Amino acid sequence: MSTYPFSGRKGLRISVGAGASVLAVFALVPAVAVFVISFTDIRGLPGIPIQFVGFENYERFFSAAKLGYNLNALQNTLVYAVASTVVINVFALGIAVLLNGRLRGRTFTRALVFLPTILGVTVIGLIWSLFFNPSAGPAATIWSWFGADSAFFGDPALALSLVIFVQIWAGLGVAVVIYLAGLQAIPEELYEAAALDGADGWKRLRLVTIPLLAPSVTANVLLAIVGSLQSYQLAYVLTGPNNPATQLLSLAIFAQAFGGSTTSGMGQSQGYAATISVIQFFIVGIASLLVMWYLRRREARL
Amino acid sequence: MTALDASSRIAADTSMASPDRRRRPLTPGRVLSYAALVLVAVCYLFPLAFLLNTALKSSEAFFADPGAVVTSPQWGNFADAWVQGNFGAYLLNSVLYTVGAAAVGTAVSLFLAFPVARSYVAHPRLWNALFVVLLFLPNALITQFQLLLRLGLYNTQIGYIAIMAAGVGIGPILLAGYIKSIPVELDEAAAVDGCGYWRYLMTFVIPMARPALATVFILQAIGVWNDIILATILLPDPAKSPISLGLYAFKGTYTNDWPLLAAATMIVAAPLLAAYVFLQRYLVGGVVGSVKG
Repeated sequence: MSTYPFSGRKGLRISVGAGASVLAVFALVPAVAVFVISFTDIRGLPGIPIQFVGFENYERFFSAAKLGYNLNALQNTLVYAVASTVVINVFALGIAVLLNGRLRGRTFTRALVFLPTILGVTVIGLIWSLFFNPSAGPAATIWSWFGADSAFFGDPALALSLVIFVQIWAGLGVAVVIYLAGLQAIPEELYEAAALDGADGWKRLRLVTIPLLAPSVTANVLLAIVGSLQSYQLAYVLTGPNNPATQLLSLAIFAQAFGGSTTSGMGQSQGYAATISVIQFFIVGIASLLVMWYLRRREARL
Repeated sequence: MTALDASSRIAADTSMASPDRRRRPLTPGRVLSYAALVLVAVCYLFPLAFLLNTALKSSEAFFADPGAVVTSPQWGNFADAWVQGNFGAYLLNSVLYTVGAAAVGTAVSLFLAFPVARSYVAHPRLWNALFVVLLFLPNALITQFQLLLRLGLYNTQIGYIAIMAAGVGIGPILLAGYIKSIPVELDEAAAVDGCGYWRYLMTFVIPMARPALATVFILQAIGVWNDIILATILLPDPAKSPISLGLYAFKGTYTNDWPLLAAATMIVAAPLLAAYVFLQRYLVGGVVGSVKG
């Protein structure tokens, strides 16, 4: 704790005021307002009177007309989150251990794995749309070796799995880098001691590496869960906003509020879409708290 | 708060490659490791190589044999995609949005992170809590749209930049952590010499915190450059589209002309790939720092 050493406070007040205003107006107010407007029938056009409707939007979410759509979105979201979190973490841990060894070309490989992080969903989406294009792509060729063909992203049974695959491909880099930082913090002496005690490679991994990597595991699992529960851009780019096979909860917010296309949807009830936003917020919050509680408890036991 | 030593650790890791050069005996384990390494690299290189290969083919050659390696490269595909996709205008838009929003966002992060890290404002703990809350805000697409609509900033570039700038994410936390590693005595010495707060922030803190500022700027810039949903909602006028949205629209128009689409994708990816070569260290350090912070 230090006391303020400068003479005037004007510069401090102005800069903090400016920074805080930008955040308050363009980030905090919209975030809080989501909760407020979920109780209204606000629409996408200005000038239409707004009425408070109580819990009507929430009742609508669970109404017979909407429940099927919403449960489908919820189920897809959960499958998406669990599958991508588990696979990303298993693969990332393996790749990180591999890259932590003294191999030539590991810096290059790390850079490659991290690359999708900067490419962005549109470019990634097009790369994989090309790869999985049904008429003339490498995936179609591989399928044909087995005498099969597929519409890939157009096949309702396969679309979600493929989107998850692309999410894993794109999301591995961050997880690998975090695991690598965790691995490099493990002192070399521990491995030497374990080797003296006669532990082979697998045992060293299981008894030294994984327990000491627990904080990185917590960070990675949490990041992957929160990220995948909220991510929808990939599904949007790869399969469009209104595809039931890949309908995710956050994509449903977009589709309900804006009609899923760029220009229409101005008259839609955005109060209802905000309700989905609030429900999603609580799902993400509860899931991350549960996971954090579980992983922290494990960390303490290790 | 270890953004600093995280990035130096990464730096140490990259430079470690050189003493490895001596030959090691090739055990079965090492052969297996190398095989795995190559497999991982191929998984990431092959889609990119296929993209480039496709971008250089004529439509006929692509549909005749999509997998064949290109023999007579059609560099004209890039010119065609550039002109037909109007990518020049989109690129300018994207540069404006990215530089504008990331610069404002980084300034906001700095303006708040420095006094909070130094406890020059009341209730620094509350401010730190706010920095964390910023990471867990609900999906606010609708209210951001409504806000701009009511402020008369809907479909304006300045409104879009303001929304993107406010998405500071990890910035304040990362910067506050870094600033704590700058000795407080420096503030006091500068103040004794008659330096005011603003001048100190501009001429001392900014140069000293440059690595962290660069990381914060880059992380936010990537987010803005790659945004597609907010641009779709807030900028309906196609003339104001950023390049990510331009590419998405291009895909809608030229659905099956894969060589042209691949060329367009390469055009959008090229600046990112070029920047990546230089920025990789800041990025990796930033990601690690943001988790530890």
